[in-house]
Amino acid sequence: MKLEITGINHTYDVDVLKDLNFSLDNHNSIAIIGVSGSGKSTLLRLMSGLEKPTSGTIKINDLSVDNPEYKKHVGFVFQQHNLFPHLSLKRNITLILEKTRNKPKEEAEETAMKYLKLLHLEDQVNKLPKNVSGGQAQRASIARALSVDPEIIFLDEPTASLDPILTHEVLTAVEELKGLGKSFIFVTHVLSFVKDFADYVIYMHEGKIHECGIPDILENPKTNELNEFMKKVR
Amino acid sequence: MVSNSLSLNKLKTIISYIAAIMTVIAFMVFVALRQTDDFSFEPFFPYRNVILNGIKNTIFVSIISLLGSMVLGFILYLLQKSKIKYFNALIDVFTEIIYGTPLLVLIIVTAFLIGPAFNSYNRNLFGVLALIIYMSPYMKNVYKAAFSSISHDQYLAMDLFGFTSFQRYFYIIIPQVIRILMPPLMNNFSLIIKGSALLNLLSYPELFFTIDVAQSRNFAYVEGYILMWGLYLLITIPLSQFTKYIERKLSL
Ligand SMILES: Nc1ncnc2c1ncn2[C@@H]1O[C@H](COP(=O)(O)OP(=O)(O)OP(=O)(O)O)[C@@H](O)[C@H]1O
Ligand SMILES: [Mg+2]
Repeated sequence: MKLEITGINHTYDVDVLKDLNFSLDNHNSIAIIGVSGSGKSTLLRLMSGLEKPTSGTIKINDLSVDNPEYKKHVGFVFQQHNLFPHLSLKRNITLILEKTRNKPKEEAEETAMKYLKLLHLEDQVNKLPKNVSGGQAQRASIARALSVDPEIIFLDEPTASLDPILTHEVLTAVEELKGLGKSFIFVTHVLSFVKDFADYVIYMHEGKIHECGIPDILENPKTNELNEFMKKVR
Repeated sequence: MVSNSLSLNKLKTIISYIAAIMTVIAFMVFVALRQTDDFSFEPFFPYRNVILNGIKNTIFVSIISLLGSMVLGFILYLLQKSKIKYFNALIDVFTEIIYGTPLLVLIIVTAFLIGPAFNSYNRNLFGVLALIIYMSPYMKNVYKAAFSSISHDQYLAMDLFGFTSFQRYFYIIIPQVIRILMPPLMNNFSLIIKGSALLNLLSYPELFFTIDVAQSRNFAYVEGYILMWGLYLLITIPLSQFTKYIERKLSL
C-alpha cells in the first residue's frame, strides 16, 4: 500500500490535526496508537474518506480519497459494530451486495456465507445483531467490511467495547485475515496485537505524527512522549 | 431443580395477579352494593345494540383520530426540523399551547368557537379534529424519537457502502423507524380511545354517550357506570397487552 498525506489540517471546534505530512510505501498493516484525543480516529476517518479534511490531500495507492471511486476500495469497521440492527448478520451483507454492488441473489448469499464462515459465524447467520454477543457482532461487521472485496480495511478500535476474552477472539480473527492480500490500517490500544499484526506503527500525539516506524520502535522509543505512553499502557 | 423453582416462581406470579384482580373486583362489588340492592345489568339488555354501536363509534373515531394525528404529527415534525425559523417558532408555540390545554377545553373551543368561525356547525367533525390536534404534538415527539434513534454511524456506513437516497430510506431507515414507532403509537392510540369519551359532550354517539342515554331511561346508574368502565377496560387492556407484546417482538 502506498500512502501520501500532504498538508493535512483538520478542525472541529479546535485544531485536531495539525499540518500532517507523511508518506509511506510497501507496508500493508499500519497501526495507529496514541492517547485518547490525540486524533487517531480523525486521521482514520479522513484516510477512509468518511470525512473531508479542512485542508490538505490524502492519496492512497495513487487515488485521492475524495475521488468517488475510492470508496469502493474501502472497508471500515467501527468501534461499535454498527451493523444495521433490523437485519440479520447475513442480510447485513447480502443487502449491500445486492443493492449497491448489483450482485444476483445467489452470488450475494454465497459471498456472505463465505465471509461469515471465515469469521466463524456460520451458526449465527440468521440472528439479529442484538441476539449475538458483542464479539460475534464485531466479527460480523468485519465480515461485512470484507464482503465488498475492498483493497484497504480500516478498523477504529474494533475491540474497545469488548471484554478481554472477546477482544482476543476478534483480534485472533483479524490476524487470520493476514493471508487475504488486503491492507489494514487500524487504531488499537492492544499493544500485543500491534506487535503481532502491524508492520508499521504511527504514534499520534496532540494532533501530530510524533513518532513512526516498524513495531520495534515500541521497544526503544526515541521520544519522551512515546516512552511515557508505553509505560502507561503496559 | 432450576426449572422447578422457575415454574414455582411463575405460579407465585400468577397467584399474585389473580389475588390483585380479585382485590379490585371486591372493591368494586363493595362500591356497587353500597348503592343498590339488586345489582343487575339486565336493564341494559334492551340497549345492547345501541351500546354496541357506541363501541363501534368509539373505535371508529379513535382510528380516524389516530390516522389524522399521525399525518398532522408528521407535518409538525417536518416543520420543526425545517430550516425556516418561523416554522420552528410556530411549532414551539403550538406545542406549548396544546400541552397547556385540557382536552375537554380544546374540544369545546374547537367545536363551539373555531368551527362556527368557519361557518361549520358539524360538531362531530370538529370534535374529531380537536382530538387530532390534541394528539399531534405527542405524535411529533414519537417521530422525533424514532428518527433520532438511527445513529450517525449508520448514516456513515450507508454512505460508505454507497446506498442511494431511496435505498437508504426504503431498506434501512423506514424499517427501523416503524419498529421503534409502533409501541408509542399504540400507547397514543389508547390515549385517544380514552380521550374520545369526551366527545359525548358533543352528543356524538360513542360508548360513554350511549350508556349515558340508556341510563337516563332505565335509571340503572350504578350498573351503567360500572358497565361503561368495564367496556373501556375491555378495549384498552388488550391493546396495552398487545403493545407490550410487539414491543418485545420488534425491539432492536
Ligand atoms: N465530531 C466531532 N466534533 C467535535 N470534536 C470532535 C469530533 N470528533 C472528535 N473531536 C475532537 O477531536 C479530538 C480528537 O478526537 P479523536 O476522536 O480523533 O481522538 P482519538 O485519538 O481517536 O481518541 P480516542 O482514543 O478517545 O478515540 C478530540 O479532542 C475530540 O474531542
Ligand atoms: Mg477514537
